[in-house]
Amino acid sequence: MARRFRGTLAFVAAIAAGHALGASPDGAREPYASTYVPLPAEPLLITGATLLTGTGERLDGASVHVADGRIVAVGPDVEAPGARVVEARGQWLTPGLIDVHSHLGDYPAPSIQATADGNEATDPNTARVWAEHSVWPQDPQFPLALAGGVTTLQILPGSANLFGGRGVTLKNVPSRTVQGMKFPGAPHSLKMACGENPERVYGSRTLAPSTGMGNVAGYRAAWAKAVEYRDKRARAAADPEKDAPDRDLGLDTLVGVLDGEILVHNHCYRADEMAMMIDVAREFGYRITAFHHAVESYKIADLLAVEGICSAMWADWWSFKLEAFDAVNQNVALVDRAGACAIVHSDSPRGIQHLNQEAAKAMAAARRAGMAMSEAEAVRWLTLNAARALGVAAETGSIEPGKAADLVLWNRNPFSVYARAQRVYIDGYLYYDRNDPRRQPRTDFDLDQTARGSAP
Amino acid sequence: MTRRLGCLVTLLWAGVAHAGTAIVGATVYTLEADQAQPREGVTVLVADGRVQAVGPDPVIPDGYQRIDATGRIVTPGLIESHSQLGLVEIAGEPSTRDASVGVVAFASTGATGVERFRFGPAFDVQYAINPNSTLLPVNRMDGVTRAVVAPLPGNDPLAGWGAAIRLDDAVGVQPRLALFGSIGAATAAYTGGSRSALIQRLREGLDGARSFRPDRYQPDAGAYTRREMSALKAFLDAGVPLVLTVHRANEIRQALAMAREFEFPLVIHGGSEAWQVAHTLARHRVPVIVDVLDNLPVSYDQLGARLDNAVLLQRAGVPVLLTAEETQNARLLRQIAGNAVAEGMPWADALAAVTAVPARVFGLPAGTGTLGPGAPADLVVWTDDPFELTTWAERVMIDGEWIPMTSRQTRLLERYRDLEGPLPFGYR
Repeated sequence: MARRFRGTLAFVAAIAAGHALGASPDGAREPYASTYVPLPAEPLLITGATLLTGTGERLDGASVHVADGRIVAVGPDVEAPGARVVEARGQWLTPGLIDVHSHLGDYPAPSIQATADGNEATDPNTARVWAEHSVWPQDPQFPLALAGGVTTLQILPGSANLFGGRGVTLKNVPSRTVQGMKFPGAPHSLKMACGENPERVYGSRTLAPSTGMGNVAGYRAAWAKAVEYRDKRARAAADPEKDAPDRDLGLDTLVGVLDGEILVHNHCYRADEMAMMIDVAREFGYRITAFHHAVESYKIADLLAVEGICSAMWADWWSFKLEAFDAVNQNVALVDRAGACAIVHSDSPRGIQHLNQEAAKAMAAARRAGMAMSEAEAVRWLTLNAARALGVAAETGSIEPGKAADLVLWNRNPFSVYARAQRVYIDGYLYYDRNDPRRQPRTDFDLDQTARGSAP
Repeated sequence: MTRRLGCLVTLLWAGVAHAGTAIVGATVYTLEADQAQPREGVTVLVADGRVQAVGPDPVIPDGYQRIDATGRIVTPGLIESHSQLGLVEIAGEPSTRDASVGVVAFASTGATGVERFRFGPAFDVQYAINPNSTLLPVNRMDGVTRAVVAPLPGNDPLAGWGAAIRLDDAVGVQPRLALFGSIGAATAAYTGGSRSALIQRLREGLDGARSFRPDRYQPDAGAYTRREMSALKAFLDAGVPLVLTVHRANEIRQALAMAREFEFPLVIHGGSEAWQVAHTLARHRVPVIVDVLDNLPVSYDQLGARLDNAVLLQRAGVPVLLTAEETQNARLLRQIAGNAVAEGMPWADALAAVTAVPARVFGLPAGTGTLGPGAPADLVVWTDDPFELTTWAERVMIDGEWIPMTSRQTRLLERYRDLEGPLPFGYR
């Protein structure tokens, strides 16, 4: 009762602040700004669980104190008078899982003509589009991902284009608007794509690009323009006599990358193509944050470590196209062991529901090949490393004092196929409880679809 | 030098013909006569490609290879119930795809005579199954020893005849063990865009096939051709199953009504909403092939998809077969089975759903999917619970022979695991 009352209060407060309707407070300065407000959460003391902190550590039987949605203390002897005690002996606690590669909301379920909103495949350079402008918050796949422990996810445009557009990082919370899901303070990203997809999509229409060299020419032409646009803007700012260039939404995005404000997430399977993209970035002076689907990262793990570029990978996807043919199950582990940043991603509304299982397979593959790999290390692939790639590591991705209480309580070792998320907290608020149907959000789409029904 | 000598020894060793094999000390799930309980610390004797005996203390005949499997789990080899193994190498590359006959294939040649190129139910995959597919070693070294190879619909709801294969080098093919087809929005497009017209077409075909005489058959425009009707008649005569990919509860009921009226064995594949008709399916003993993790309402055929579909079916008494539904990753079958258990299916039922049940439903050689006496010696020695993600297959035997635990992927791993190795990569 008290809980419900508090929830209502928060809702009223949010409306009073003009936020919950999705209108930006200062639309010109920060367009489409986040209106997410954490729900008021009671203080918690989660005790007795096995903690995988996300930093590479494992703490057996430690406690976590949460207040005002933040982690206050972690350790064996934490006390928190007045906090609600969550007895979690025998259970495992991890940071909320983070998927750096998702299309939820942009490619919602059901996947039909009306909902295919993820690929603006009308031009090989659509740096001007923003994935968040396609997100349908009522996609029934969001709550399914929540039940799998996913608290943060990056929604990217598809990979038809050399420059797909801007990605957005979301909190996996039920909301009427995408603004209400946007991760406050998370940087924008730029989705780029190598390889077969742009070549096929445009080559089949006898448009450029149709080859690998056409791809690279397309990147270079765009970056050259962006450099010119940036310099023109700078000259106009410094000298009132000089005209500023006409506003170009696509170039705004690319200049954001050149200025280091927008992070590049680059779909790229093959090792040789990743090395080529690194040289494109060098030519024009920008950084690549992560290669996605990086099936061949293991071939150049040393280079990726030196360059400080993350690889977002699958555990075992392969052979669905030629550029995915050279997969090895040890890819994730080899990248990690080379000292490079390794991430397990889904790119799949199915895979996002069991990212823990994907990481478990990658961990087991390491062990099968004689490489030691612990759960504490492997959980970083889904948490802190992913948070770093999204530029939100100061806020989430590990169980450390000061961070948001984005937490998943598992009924057993999450690297077991039999494990299920029991409770999922975002900013300390219990958004999902496997044992309480009232704490399992349902989207508008799910309501009264008779077929979705309940079990006989 | 030493390495070369080592290779030589290995070669000689491999060349030694053992009279048989004794796998000693394992916990063995024989699944013989629906036996769910494992036998612990027993020995499995294999000779001539068959299981001879499983027992606590058998006499191991002279000349048998002795494998210590103490602390290990031995199960029958896993059977994937719905794949395109051997038919598809790289899904995105048309020149490596042989799973369907359709408009796309002949449009690319510029040919126009659609009727002349129709195969429909007459299409038969057996002639294109490629024993050199790199997908076979990748999947068999993770414990998949046999697979049903199904055609996919190309330009008709009926896709054609499927086969079963063994995943060893010899790739024994068991052809024409079932006819395959699909009812849903995608295949309704082949019949004018309505699921109802699709079912009418199937009914017309089956009805005509009952009295079909090639010399008297005069098909209307768009009706099944003589070749297709011959295939349908052969199907009805053979008594093999029709495997229908169908998700929506209504069309599952329609499929069942056809099966009863035209008296053929029906198998439902996909069956996202099968849980809604579980008791009817159970009453008529209609097996369902389920991909447990296919729980998304991805289409208007699958709005009722749910994670515990397989469990609800199994509880209602429906024979359940599990599929990984991904040709290149049939090896994920054990993860699928593990998830079925996590959702509430008893462990031994999940194991049967990837071994004994598919063997029985598809009429694989007697005993396949079990380790009873005389069963084909397809088995796996697992490091521990095979459904767990942190275990793996230590040894895999198909048809009585240990398969090499190598694949293209293990070769790539060897080549690149040490980036500072002494030889240039191309020579490793």
